[in-house]
Amino acid sequence: MRKKNDLEYLRLNKLQKFFYRIGFFITNIPKHLLTFFIFIGKFFVKIFKKIGNEFKFLGTTFVHGSWKTKISYFILGFGNISRGQVAKGLLFFLFEAVFIFYMITSGGYWLGKFQNLGDAAQVQVYNPTYDTYETVPGDNSFKILLYGLLTIVFIIAFIVTWRINVKQCYLCDQIEQSGKKVKTNKDDLKSLLDNNFHKTLLTLPILGVMAFTIIPIIFMILVAFTNMDATKDGYSNLFTWVGMDNFNELFSFRDSSGGNLSLAFGEILSWTLIWAIFATFTNYFLGMFVAIMINKKGIKFKKLWRGIFVLTIAIPQFVSLLYVSKLFAKNGLINGLLMDWGIIKEVIPFWTDPTLARVMVILINIWIGIPYLMLIATGILMNIPQDLYESAKIDGANVWQQYTRITLPYMLFVTGPYLLTSFIGNLNNFNVIYLLTGGEPTDPRLLTSGGSAGSTDLLITWLFKITTGATNNYKLAAVIAIMIFIVVAVISLIVYNIMPSNRNERDFS
Amino acid sequence: MKKILATLIAVVLVSAMVFALASCGNNPSDQPKTEKLEGTYNILVWTSEVKGVKEQVKEQIDKFVAANPGLTINATIEGIGEGEAATQMISSVEDGADLFFFAQDQLSRLVQAAALNPLGVETTKKVKESNDASSVKASTVSDKIYAYPATSDNGYFMFYDKSIVKAEHLDSLEDIIADCEAADRLFSFNLEGSGWYNASFFFATGCISEWETDATGKYVSVNDTFNSDQGLVALKGMQKLLKSKAYNDSANGADFDAAVKSAVVISGTWDSATVKGILGDNYGVTDLPSFTVDGSTYHLGSFSGNKLVGVKPQTDAKKAAVLQQLALFLTNKECQLERFEKFGWGPSNLDAQKDPKVANDETLSALALQNKYASPQLSIHGSWWDIAKTYATAAKTATSDKELKEALEAYEKAINGLFNMSTDEKESFTVIGKFADNEWNKDVAMSQKPEGTWYTDEPIDFKAGDEFQVRQGKAWDVQFGAVDATTGKSTKNNFVVPTDGKYYVKLVFDKATGEGVVTLEKVNPSTGWTVIGSINGDTWSIDLEMEPGDNGVWRTVNSYEMAEGTEFKVRQGKSWDVSYGNGTANFVVSEAGTYFVEFNPDTTVVTLVKA
Amino acid sequence: MSNKEIMPKQKHMGMKRKNAISNFFIYFILIVMVVVWLVPFVCILLESFRVEKTWQVGYVIPHEWGFGNYVKLFTETDFLKWYGNTLLIGASAAVLQTIVVLAVSYTLSRINFKGRKFLMNTCLVLGMFPGFVTLIVLYRVLSDIGLTGPNAVPGLILIGVAGSGMGYYISKGYFDTIPRSLDEAAKVDGATKFQIFYKVIMPLAKPIVIYTILTAFMGPWGDFMFAKYIANGSSAGMNVAVGLQYMISSPGNISKNYTMFCAGGVCVAIPITILFMCLQKYYVEGVTGGAVKG
Repeated sequence: MRKKNDLEYLRLNKLQKFFYRIGFFITNIPKHLLTFFIFIGKFFVKIFKKIGNEFKFLGTTFVHGSWKTKISYFILGFGNISRGQVAKGLLFFLFEAVFIFYMITSGGYWLGKFQNLGDAAQVQVYNPTYDTYETVPGDNSFKILLYGLLTIVFIIAFIVTWRINVKQCYLCDQIEQSGKKVKTNKDDLKSLLDNNFHKTLLTLPILGVMAFTIIPIIFMILVAFTNMDATKDGYSNLFTWVGMDNFNELFSFRDSSGGNLSLAFGEILSWTLIWAIFATFTNYFLGMFVAIMINKKGIKFKKLWRGIFVLTIAIPQFVSLLYVSKLFAKNGLINGLLMDWGIIKEVIPFWTDPTLARVMVILINIWIGIPYLMLIATGILMNIPQDLYESAKIDGANVWQQYTRITLPYMLFVTGPYLLTSFIGNLNNFNVIYLLTGGEPTDPRLLTSGGSAGSTDLLITWLFKITTGATNNYKLAAVIAIMIFIVVAVISLIVYNIMPSNRNERDFS
Repeated sequence: MKKILATLIAVVLVSAMVFALASCGNNPSDQPKTEKLEGTYNILVWTSEVKGVKEQVKEQIDKFVAANPGLTINATIEGIGEGEAATQMISSVEDGADLFFFAQDQLSRLVQAAALNPLGVETTKKVKESNDASSVKASTVSDKIYAYPATSDNGYFMFYDKSIVKAEHLDSLEDIIADCEAADRLFSFNLEGSGWYNASFFFATGCISEWETDATGKYVSVNDTFNSDQGLVALKGMQKLLKSKAYNDSANGADFDAAVKSAVVISGTWDSATVKGILGDNYGVTDLPSFTVDGSTYHLGSFSGNKLVGVKPQTDAKKAAVLQQLALFLTNKECQLERFEKFGWGPSNLDAQKDPKVANDETLSALALQNKYASPQLSIHGSWWDIAKTYATAAKTATSDKELKEALEAYEKAINGLFNMSTDEKESFTVIGKFADNEWNKDVAMSQKPEGTWYTDEPIDFKAGDEFQVRQGKAWDVQFGAVDATTGKSTKNNFVVPTDGKYYVKLVFDKATGEGVVTLEKVNPSTGWTVIGSINGDTWSIDLEMEPGDNGVWRTVNSYEMAEGTEFKVRQGKSWDVSYGNGTANFVVSEAGTYFVEFNPDTTVVTLVKA
Repeated sequence: MSNKEIMPKQKHMGMKRKNAISNFFIYFILIVMVVVWLVPFVCILLESFRVEKTWQVGYVIPHEWGFGNYVKLFTETDFLKWYGNTLLIGASAAVLQTIVVLAVSYTLSRINFKGRKFLMNTCLVLGMFPGFVTLIVLYRVLSDIGLTGPNAVPGLILIGVAGSGMGYYISKGYFDTIPRSLDEAAKVDGATKFQIFYKVIMPLAKPIVIYTILTAFMGPWGDFMFAKYIANGSSAGMNVAVGLQYMISSPGNISKNYTMFCAGGVCVAIPITILFMCLQKYYVEGVTGGAVKG
């Protein structure tokens, strides 16, 4: 596709611009890929250079540094203490002490076992005195994997702290050489509310995310390279590293003994995408439509209308969705009423017909999603300058034209990022599917492909079945989680690139 | 660490054995089996969340404590359904309950996760004596009892509305369906939603699905005849209901009171109170009906099952003993009767079953009636329940026998796929046939070394006339047998062993062409021994073949002339990982002569035998 | 075209009538929608007052009304305990999560520092990983520090607060809309960054603070997957969602407890509905990133 110059581009109408952008993106994929690989390459070069510089820095600082600095290389915080920053220095020292203590008492043990995740599982031994069996404990692969990982993280944290300690000594050396006074603890504390205020605000949140999001994710990624499942649970039967075996299994396209996971994955992925597109856009446009209706001049009781819709947010979904799913059951109220009124002769299989079930989950999702969208759209609509509409009216634009020329572009511009996040949210929308259908109805072909998936299962609910089902197939779940991650990342990248409001976050205001 | 642990285990094992032997020698009367239960224990108990069960279990535990002076139990009791308990246990055995009620189909899963402590010798005896046979069988995994039967009532039968279903129609599925359709009522039978219910039709026609586990609870094989002519008849019978407008895929007593009311619900004892409440005088309960296909009539079968009590493995033997006695107490006659009276749970205890109140119970009588046609629900692979849904779903839309057969084939393929084979396992070969203790029912493992050449790990003791096949991935897609004389390749005919002897089965498999050659070999090169050295002026470059004798001693095939000072070693698998001469040093010939070299792998001694 | 210019008055009349017709249609659509949206809500409410039968039935209006289900719910089950747990989790989340979210979103929006872009990208990437597969690890970690089973409540609070930093998105959007000139003016006056945060920006951020509190408070009421795992079957550690789920989990029980389950649902809906009704304005303002301020 030929790149249009600015003038040509501006002449296009909205739709053409949109398609131009998509086409442009697609034709540029090779270029993007190239840039990506060049970026990766540069990234590694940069990393290696940085590491080199790091060693150089550490070396020269040690050689040229004062004796205080030299000692600080081994006793953390010495430089700080000897310069009067006692509290800070003690913190450094304490950290080192804890680190060494931990490594000696348990860190070494976990690291040692990390290589093959344990040697001997627990055994049950008969005890004739009490005529019963007792358990002789053994290794636990799960714990070894977890605590091994934590130990590695701890080591990295120590190295980083050590580096900060050296850097500080280096800076102090510099300051002393130039004859100025080193900052006191008090100065440091003060800066935490001013120049270093961001550190104050972010330290705890980052630690929290580190401990309870990042480390668990790394753990699960590691699990994808082990053979952990119900038969290899980690304590009664140890699990161990298996390299890429699990990935091979997912992509082997084999059908020799029933398991064709690639087929199941493909089918479920395509339904997940269809679902996410419908769920996102039906909600988006219908929610906007409702908001426009309520906002229209001359419509009374605006607050009441909104309030009623908001009511549905308030009932927890596990109650309301359960009720709705029963409502549409074969012997549910809807079928009952339709039969009584003589509209139908036979009950409608809302949940047992695969296509109908898929339509139903999308429709019911509208029921859930509209209130949120309506609230969001309400605020944005109120904010559109009214003179735009006035001048449009004077130019003779009808309602539809006003909508497509003013309202929609404005909404899309402002809610672009929201659309992306809600699309991603819908890809991983667990509640609606799990509570409404539980993945049913059965699809024989999917079911026998491994992982017990049903017709309405999304990747995320399938993942749930794999993890909690009879086989507790954690290794496969970890692989699929990684796959979901890749799918979501790729889609986000594409959408992000063709989205109108991605240029500058500051434009948002 | 590995060594320490191994030694520790060994020490414990040995001491346990010594104890066991010692106690065997003792007079039974002074066996310490009646070791007094004392001390204070904190235990966690999971029992049904049905209202009142927790309280009753609490009372029963108190009774147990009262009967054992010196014993204190601080029990925390939580309500977790029998269906859910296993999943919850497995998610973290460490934090799971010490004593819990669960549904029997979860047994092997729990054993596999080491969440159940096996019963001691005496306790096993007691459980076997006092409970009905099927409940004992349901608690057993490869000869060891792992749980205590608590009920024998986990089955299904038919609830019906007397005002709709005519009494004379109760024996015929077709008539009942017609009654329902005529009255615009539904027939609730959870056929698509659960293999537990739809297996009913297959049991009716005599199909079986029997699963076998090894001692660790891992499933190793299945004998499943659903994909057969009888299975086809079963599906045809099932279609009668599936295709009826009255069919409702559900198993809920409240269906009798739904917007579109059911006239029949296939469900179990847990629904009897609800159904009685809804139907009142019209309450009807009986065994399942029969269906007719091609003129033959088949009475619907069912699963009969149990609730069991499990005890978590403990590192403290004393606590394990206390829990064992407590579990025994909670499942004794009195406790089971109490549970029957309050909740209608049908006892597994033989004495309790004879109690007149139990014997005359209306619902339990219907269950007993149905039990004549029931198959005990032994260990069944957890994924089976899902896979068994497939044929019902397929049968609903199927219009020809061909489609039904395809559904059954897909089903069979899926259950065979459950034997969780890794890619390696799927690609590896095994020997199966009629030899030694093999009756075409066991796969003997083979290993590949080098690429393309497979040997059985152990030699097989063949008799002349034995037959076997070499197959891949324990399936019959790729198989090799007798060698065709003209092509020199193996055919699909059985390989017939010509003479008695211990042989390794060897397969040379060409991945590219898919052709293979099966032969019998005396020696497996990767475990076989060869002689190498300076014999005949060789410079340690040629491996001289050896053959095993009947006494296990290996001997060179040929004899060799050896000069004085000739050196050699005997090595395994033509590699230097394991090799012997004079000890681990080279063997040096002290006197010139012509010799066979002999080697005994058990003693690792090399000797020269004059030719 | 010419018509319009010649007879502006007539057109005006036509507009008015057209307006009335379109308003009529809008009312009609709104009423239909409101009925559809309210049906399940009203039905659940009615179910909770039905005392004659405890199972799901084929009619809507109870034959016999009463508070029996509520009485049973509070006296025969641990509902009060679960309710208290959820309130505690919700309240703690409302305080702690709000602090964390505001700290993160404020920093990312208004302080320029090295690594800011990197942090934002990391959060975006982390959000793409399906979080609940990490359940088993989180359970193990919490179990090892003793925050599962009966002690699940602090565990749930901890997990909720720890991960909340990643949900900065909407509130950052809000901070982005507050004019930068305010910061600069304060800076010229010699204010530290903390003072700018505390004295200048925070007073302007009321809607987003309330929005954050509201969403943080609401979350735990519907959380059952994770909470169930952490509670591990211990009634003392359950929240309302998990407790109610257990009530109807096995086949015989749904018939015995269904109306009580609905009563529980209504009890959960009450505080959230009230909060939502009162704070709707702030919710809208917050979620639209201060668009209403104009």
